[in-house]
Amino acid sequence: MNSEEMDLISRCKQGDQDAFKEIFNQYQKKVYRIAYGVVRQREDALDIVQEVFIKLFRSIKNFKGKSNFYTYLYRMVMNTAIDHIRRSRYKIQTSSIDEDGGFQLSEEAVKRPDHILIHKELEERVRIAMEKLPPDQRAALIFREVEGLSYQEIAETMECSVGTVMSRLHYGRKRIQEFLKNYGKLEGGE
Amino acid sequence: MKDSCSSVSKLLEKYFDHEVTEKERSLVEDHILDCETCQDGLSLMGRLREAIKNPIREAEEEESFPWVWEKIERGIRLQEKPNYWESFRSWVSISPLFKKKVWVPAMAAIAILILVTAPLLFKKTTSYSSPSVVEYVESQTYNVMVYESEKGKVTVIWLFEGPEKESPPS
Repeated sequence: MNSEEMDLISRCKQGDQDAFKEIFNQYQKKVYRIAYGVVRQREDALDIVQEVFIKLFRSIKNFKGKSNFYTYLYRMVMNTAIDHIRRSRYKIQTSSIDEDGGFQLSEEAVKRPDHILIHKELEERVRIAMEKLPPDQRAALIFREVEGLSYQEIAETMECSVGTVMSRLHYGRKRIQEFLKNYGKLEGGE
Repeated sequence: MKDSCSSVSKLLEKYFDHEVTEKERSLVEDHILDCETCQDGLSLMGRLREAIKNPIREAEEEESFPWVWEKIERGIRLQEKPNYWESFRSWVSISPLFKKKVWVPAMAAIAILILVTAPLLFKKTTSYSSPSVVEYVESQTYNVMVYESEKGKVTVIWLFEGPEKESPPS
């Protein structure tokens, strides 16, 4: 944590809203990315962003500076996002999933099998596969694949060992690959 | 799959995540040069990463946040207004009297007092409505007066001696 950030946090602890706005400006996109990565719904992700920053304003005085500030914040985001899913009994919008859990290409996709559409279909499949993962595996994957955190940083954020992080990433990836196994485009490239 | 695949495949994920040592990195890179299976494994993880990351990045680019800050500011202001219970608690916490333990026996005494007096205070007092005379009978020896309350639940029969006759003034 650099001195500028420490100063900002110290001012926030005294209730300085300008300093808090600085923190918001620095982290808003990161918080949104993690929230969106978990819930995959714009409105829900924005709700989480608000909830997290209001919680942060209230609880920042409890931040002792023993860990990195971003790991403290990321943990708060992930916990809030997972709580949000549990609270709202988040339903995966799986109109495109058939009874066997297989993916049905939309009519438009069948008519236009171009590259962009293939990418979009793959992304949609991965989204569905991610939603089927346990929260810990999903969180580890978002921290690694979206935020590019190292194993050590993920371990600090999730308050677990590096070995556990590696295990969560490994099984998360494996489960997504299994889910996509029937989708030839992933295996064979484009 | 080459013979060394099994040993290298354990490192493949770490290599993909840039978490290998220099020695491990050169080992993996030497191996994948002519191992299609491991190349495919890496390529698969790469495509997965893109498929996870891209929609999130796209959603982020479409978003503008100024109004989000306004809502957060409003939320913070709302939380800054303490409710009555919090006001009471903060008053209790700043009051020097309540910082001392003297209030514990005082509160206990008040509670006992309330418990003792409450039944007396809330006891239903029977109010008799003003009785009315129903009958009055005079005789030489006794007079009889019958009272009855308005509701007719209480009847009083009063038997008393008749007034002594006044002696004529001498």
